[in-house]
Amino acid sequence: MAKQMLIDAYRGKKTVKPPWVPYAGVHCAFLINEPADKMLQDPELLAKGVVHTAKRYNADGIPLVFDLSVEANSVGCELKWWEDNVPSVKNHPCSDKTPAEAGLQLPTKDSGRWSVLYEAARIAKPQLDELDCVLMGLYCGPLTLASHLAGVRIFTDVYKHPEFADEVCKFAGEIGNLAAGFYAEMGCEIIAIVDPVASQIKSETFKRYVTPHCQAGIKTIHDAGMTSSFFICGDATKVMTDVCTIGTHGFAIDEQMNMNFIRDLALKHKVGFGGNLKLTLALSLGLLSPREDAIVSLAAGGQHGYTFAPG
Amino acid sequence: MADKLNIDVVTLDSVQCAACGYMMESIAALPDDVQEVIDYTEWSIKNKDGIGKFMELGVKVLPSICIERDVVFPSIIPQYEELIDEMAKRAPTDAMKERIASLRDVGFQFDKIQENLAKAGAGMATRVDSTVKK
Repeated sequence: MAKQMLIDAYRGKKTVKPPWVPYAGVHCAFLINEPADKMLQDPELLAKGVVHTAKRYNADGIPLVFDLSVEANSVGCELKWWEDNVPSVKNHPCSDKTPAEAGLQLPTKDSGRWSVLYEAARIAKPQLDELDCVLMGLYCGPLTLASHLAGVRIFTDVYKHPEFADEVCKFAGEIGNLAAGFYAEMGCEIIAIVDPVASQIKSETFKRYVTPHCQAGIKTIHDAGMTSSFFICGDATKVMTDVCTIGTHGFAIDEQMNMNFIRDLALKHKVGFGGNLKLTLALSLGLLSPREDAIVSLAAGGQHGYTFAPG
Repeated sequence: MADKLNIDVVTLDSVQCAACGYMMESIAALPDDVQEVIDYTEWSIKNKDGIGKFMELGVKVLPSICIERDVVFPSIIPQYEELIDEMAKRAPTDAMKERIASLRDVGFQFDKIQENLAKAGAGMATRVDSTVKK
């Protein structure tokens, strides 16, 4: 395991070999024979799952959680829990009013599940340091968090009610900035903004509602001396240049993107890149050979800013 | 079924993937009058039924919304009016077309989302050995 190699790759630098990150998430619960909902609410189990998974997969870095409901939950969204999946957001407090009108308050370390994450990080961090494995903090990006707050109407509001969308996304960005600070305080040396729904919008919408509301969080990460990334899912082709220029040290994508295209774009913009192993087609369903898929990814990714990881 | 408009939402998994979740919600948050005339299902490609539907409909990217077997919203979460227009365009009868089009100014309705998602089987067939209940 090699922390510095992973940090170098995330920052777009050359490495002697590609570092490796399993974005394990609730798979950690599976590996320790616990239900996901139980693990995510119990700091000791969460730390146990993360450390066990890091060892099992010989990881160079591992996220504390990959759960985009944490921030929404910390400002009042209710959750539906699943034994074999991450929780989903059940209600949208801004479905008919702005965050101010809904009386939403910015979260503190005691809001929602932040105290669980702080305690889990306190337990896991020294064990991961011992393994030379980076503890990573992942927080919900502004548009996905705005969707949690306002519901699917946000995708209509960005065109029809831009002032309302501005207010919700601005509030989401403020929450994200606090989350970035929380993860920095936990000692997460890589902190990523995860905004999966940002692939489902046009480039101009991304520039107005995503880019500006990531800036405070990115500054918080960089001011703390940590490494930043932006994770996006799905067919993000139309916004990839915006992702490369958002201001983070790097980005990660999923299995739907072409790795040669992504590598060339990342090298052009001098940022790190990762992801793309075929999570469903190879690793989950076995329709493609996971081994051959890995070889194809490694060959395309190279050793310049590339992190080997599932997409 | 000629008395219902059929919608298939092909996803990775609407619980795990936020984009998939909001694709599903865009249908589940349609107002009651629209819910009465549509029949919709989540097809997660984590199971064989979902892969079959992915191939059958010619879906290229996830998530995608298909209306009456046309891939209408590939990797774009639709605006309310876009959804209404595309549904009205493909309504099997003139009466349904008029009914759907008349709801263009109503907007999303958020009080029955969980109930509607459950009816569509959202998040219920996301394991490799799951089958999609139609």
